[in-house]
Amino acid sequence: MALMPKRVKYRKQQRGKMKGNASRTNFVAFGEYGLQTLETHWITGRQIEAGRIAATHYLHREGKVYIRIFPHHSYTAKPLETRMGKGKAEIAGWVARVKPGTVLYEIGGVPEDVAKIALLRVAHKMPVKCRFVTRRHSIA
Amino acid sequence: MADRMVLKGELRDKVGSRHAARLRKGGKLPAIIYGHGKDPAAVSFDLHDFTEGLHHGHRLFDADIDKNKETLLIKDLQYDHLGKGIIHVDMVRVDLAEIVTVRVPLELKGTSEGSHEGGIIDEHLDHLEVECKVSEIPEVIVVSIKEVGVGDAIHAGDVELPGGMKLATAADALVLTCHLVAAAKSTEEMEEEMPTAPEVITEKAPEEGTEGQSE
Repeated sequence: MALMPKRVKYRKQQRGKMKGNASRTNFVAFGEYGLQTLETHWITGRQIEAGRIAATHYLHREGKVYIRIFPHHSYTAKPLETRMGKGKAEIAGWVARVKPGTVLYEIGGVPEDVAKIALLRVAHKMPVKCRFVTRRHSIA
Repeated sequence: MADRMVLKGELRDKVGSRHAARLRKGGKLPAIIYGHGKDPAAVSFDLHDFTEGLHHGHRLFDADIDKNKETLLIKDLQYDHLGKGIIHVDMVRVDLAEIVTVRVPLELKGTSEGSHEGGIIDEHLDHLEVECKVSEIPEVIVVSIKEVGVGDAIHAGDVELPGGMKLATAADALVLTCHLVAAAKSTEEMEEEMPTAPEVITEKAPEEGTEGQSE
């Protein structure tokens, strides 16, 4: 079973729009290195889990992986060969909605070259174009 | 800190997001200058010059704005959504002998004892706030982590500051810890923890005996 919330107020939701860029979760906050999305997309719970496994397998118990996104949003899909109507379909999965700039994963406690390869493996599991980012030390 | 950099600026007569966007297109950086009881001034600097200065560790600038010379300290930087480009800067007027509170990044030096035992360094704070003279602001504060073992922690009060500097961050603020890495959870373990379906708060529980009534 993929990632999903434990409690929700309403089971089914409208799809909504995803305009603009990320104004939060858009910098590396916990680890030293991160993977940042350059596109707007839905990322399913399964894809998030696949990314986590790809990173932890490569790191061999070294370092720490932080997942910065969570699939809070449900989506529904009608079964095949079903006539239209008869109400909203059943839930097909849960997704995290990401906008350009959102940091998806972070890694800490490993050298930069190791983090780069681990996050490249994660990027292959993602449905979006990603870039490798490092923590920005604030001076002001 | 590196020597002060001279930055040429121009006063902005038109303010607002549309005019700021036009300035950025022309390779300029919108900025605001305030402090010392004077009126705030909207100005613009050359983006390339400013970024170069910043990358070379400058934080203090001698600005020449329409033949008006001022010493300025970076107060705040705004980045775009990707965190790549600077889109705005706040600068405060200062005197060189003035004491200011500034954020100074921490630089970890050495390999910790704990990392040889399988531990990792978890950095909770990457900067310290210190009070010091404007002319003596350091680029970084070096923290030696050679003697940090598994289970050890460094607090803000433990960090050695260069002379003439006072800590403004709470002394008990956690800077870093060294701990063993917990084994990553397998997919099966994650599945056990995950609910099969979320609990719906607003869903009404089926009333008892409703089935019997309908029949």
